[in-house]
Amino acid sequence: MIKFESVTFIRPNGVIALKDINLEIEKNELVTIVGANGAGKTTLLKHMNGLLKPTKGRVLIDGVDTRKTSVASLSKKIGLVFQNPDHQLFSESVEAEIVFGLKNFGFDEREIKRRTEKILEFFGLKELRDRAPLTLSGGEKKRLCIAAVLAWDPDVLVLDEPTVGQDLQNRLKLYEVINELRRRGKGVIIVSHDIEFLWPLQARTIVMADGKILKDGPAYEVFMDRGLLKAARIRQPQLAELSTKLSLNFPFKGVEDAVERLLRGS
Amino acid sequence: MTRKIVIIRNYSFTYEGSQRPAIRDVNLEIEEGEIVVIAGASGSGKSTLLRSLNGLIPHVYKGEYRGEVWVDGMLVKETPTYILATKVGFVFQNPENQIFMFTVERDIAFGLENLGFPRDEMKRRVEWALNLLGLKKLRKRAPHELSDGQKQRVAIAGAIVLKPKLLVLDEPTSLLDPETACDVVSLVKELNKSLGLTVILVEHRLELVASIANRLIVINEGRIVGDGKPERVLSNVNLQKVGLTPPPIVDLQIELRRRGIAIDPVALDVDRFLRELDKVRI
Amino acid sequence: MAYMLAEGLTFRYEDSPIHRRDPRAKLLLSICLFIVALSSNSVIHILIVFALISIPAMIANILKRMAKTLIFSLTFSVFIFVVNFAVGYDVIYSLTLALRFIAIVAAASLFFLTTSPDELEYVMRWMKLPRDFVFAFVTAVRFVPVLLLDLLQILDAQKSRGLEVERGGPVKRIKNLIPILIPLIVNALIRSGELAEAMEARGYGAVKRPTSLYVLSFDKWDVILSSLSVIGSVIFIYLSFLL
Repeated sequence: MIKFESVTFIRPNGVIALKDINLEIEKNELVTIVGANGAGKTTLLKHMNGLLKPTKGRVLIDGVDTRKTSVASLSKKIGLVFQNPDHQLFSESVEAEIVFGLKNFGFDEREIKRRTEKILEFFGLKELRDRAPLTLSGGEKKRLCIAAVLAWDPDVLVLDEPTVGQDLQNRLKLYEVINELRRRGKGVIIVSHDIEFLWPLQARTIVMADGKILKDGPAYEVFMDRGLLKAARIRQPQLAELSTKLSLNFPFKGVEDAVERLLRGS
Repeated sequence: MTRKIVIIRNYSFTYEGSQRPAIRDVNLEIEEGEIVVIAGASGSGKSTLLRSLNGLIPHVYKGEYRGEVWVDGMLVKETPTYILATKVGFVFQNPENQIFMFTVERDIAFGLENLGFPRDEMKRRVEWALNLLGLKKLRKRAPHELSDGQKQRVAIAGAIVLKPKLLVLDEPTSLLDPETACDVVSLVKELNKSLGLTVILVEHRLELVASIANRLIVINEGRIVGDGKPERVLSNVNLQKVGLTPPPIVDLQIELRRRGIAIDPVALDVDRFLRELDKVRI
Repeated sequence: MAYMLAEGLTFRYEDSPIHRRDPRAKLLLSICLFIVALSSNSVIHILIVFALISIPAMIANILKRMAKTLIFSLTFSVFIFVVNFAVGYDVIYSLTLALRFIAIVAAASLFFLTTSPDELEYVMRWMKLPRDFVFAFVTAVRFVPVLLLDLLQILDAQKSRGLEVERGGPVKRIKNLIPILIPLIVNALIRSGELAEAMEARGYGAVKRPTSLYVLSFDKWDVILSSLSVIGSVIFIYLSFLL
């Protein structure tokens, strides 16, 4: 579905941001991408909807070369939600903000109404529908940004640092959204520093450093490899650290899991 | 008997135009040399509390002000902000929006220039700050050429060059990746050790500051709901109730306690937890 | 395109004999060349002026960057040529005016390309301009690259929501600016608020006349450059009137 074939990307200032990336992500996969700032994670994301085109190699979305089609048509399938809500909110009302994307993608009046209602409902934004987006709290703004993108029902939702500055409620809501999308067979790609948020997802994890993919494997393999984490300048989730120090073969996947097993004395 | 750098008595503040107080009935004393971490959800009042220390409240942000805030023996309400700037160094969340000048060394000198320091003294202090923060090699660089971690170091240098007694950092690491965040936190600990600088740090990722805080204050809806040694506070305060995300290790221990395992106090990092675990099992 | 613009406005430090000069000497050089360019009234004069400008430009290693900046002024200069020619002036005269425009831009850019914003600030303070004005100007220059970055990020975000900035007739294109401009302005306002807090926290306004870390001082090379600039211009203008 998303295919990177020997992609290299060189920025206008000469910096090589991506070095020979080969990657395949299926339509309904949950993938997390980790790495230090400057590793190339956001650059990678921007290649997925055509915002950036590779200098060498190519990116195929559903078999179509991203250089041969527009960002708009790619965005219909790959919904990107960027880190800073203040970089995209501008409408007079929460409702208008959601309608914006739908209008751009050519849905008719009836569809727009239907989808807007549905998404407002799902994200608990119904009471806020007439509020000006700029007056919302940080968490509400983030929810709105994700809602605005999911309104047009892309095949894959891509989130860039979705938990920065978010409190507990919003983090839990995010888990809910991810689960719902998986249930519907949608793909989710998350770039995040928040390893404590990522660990319970136990997802396929791609580790990037210096424009390259250092490792692409299951979360338990990646986060238990201290050498790898050090090389990529990533911290180890606490439960993974605990599992390593207790020399466990199967790491604790979550607090519940850890409690059960510790009480059983395994 | 160590000096009290901060004394707050019965302090409440309501922003102009707001119905509810942002902060209420706060009583707090901080001694010289302490490293205090303040945690609270957004809107909890922590930013308000910090800004009450350097005079932004009430001199810039007007509102209903009740009670007293004393910093290093000065009553904040009656002291102009530029004098407070020499007592309280303030580092803000976004590194970009607190660097004004075109080179690192000029920006560090910004506060000194503003206060009319003589040139020789300025040069001495700028050298001192560059050294302390490991910025000598970057002295002539422009801010946009620096990484976020480096920018934050420049911001810290610019704050301490006025030789304050208190360094306040308002979520200084939230825009940094965790490794860089750790570096900044270690740096702050170093400054506390070598300069005897009292530190107040707002950070919600408690696992990052676990190793340096000797006191944790939790704020919820304008009130202090926890104040003491981090291990104690985390045992007693339900972080989830106040909108904070407890580190998984803390969550784990609280759950174990609920099930009858006597883990006390709550350990903040994995190594300490393992030691506790050893004590509890045979 | 946006990168090129950002590049033009972002001073880059180079260690050349010209860059190292006191900014006031550089300013004087530019002003003299500017006046000389303005006073030229034949194509040959202007070409000589170009040659004169290119000497310090070569020493300062900025020929390439200057050429890039001049490309922008080319459009306007063509416009000047066309307008003058259209109203009846002959080719040579119109050409002279068009080229003269490029020459004065080149003279001005010589200063801006060799002077850091830092030095610019010192010159403005030396000229005893009001502190707040100087600070506002300097902050604006400092944040231009930052705001440009914001703009690029906003464009990325809105394009990812299906906004097509290239398409549509004039009305649609203007409407399409709203999702770009509003976040840009809001972000700028938020930044200003944070900057204001930081200024206050670092004692801005404590003293009416703040001191400065460095002081401008003329060395012998500055004196030589300044004298050359003035004497050279006077001779040039005198000769050009004679011939």
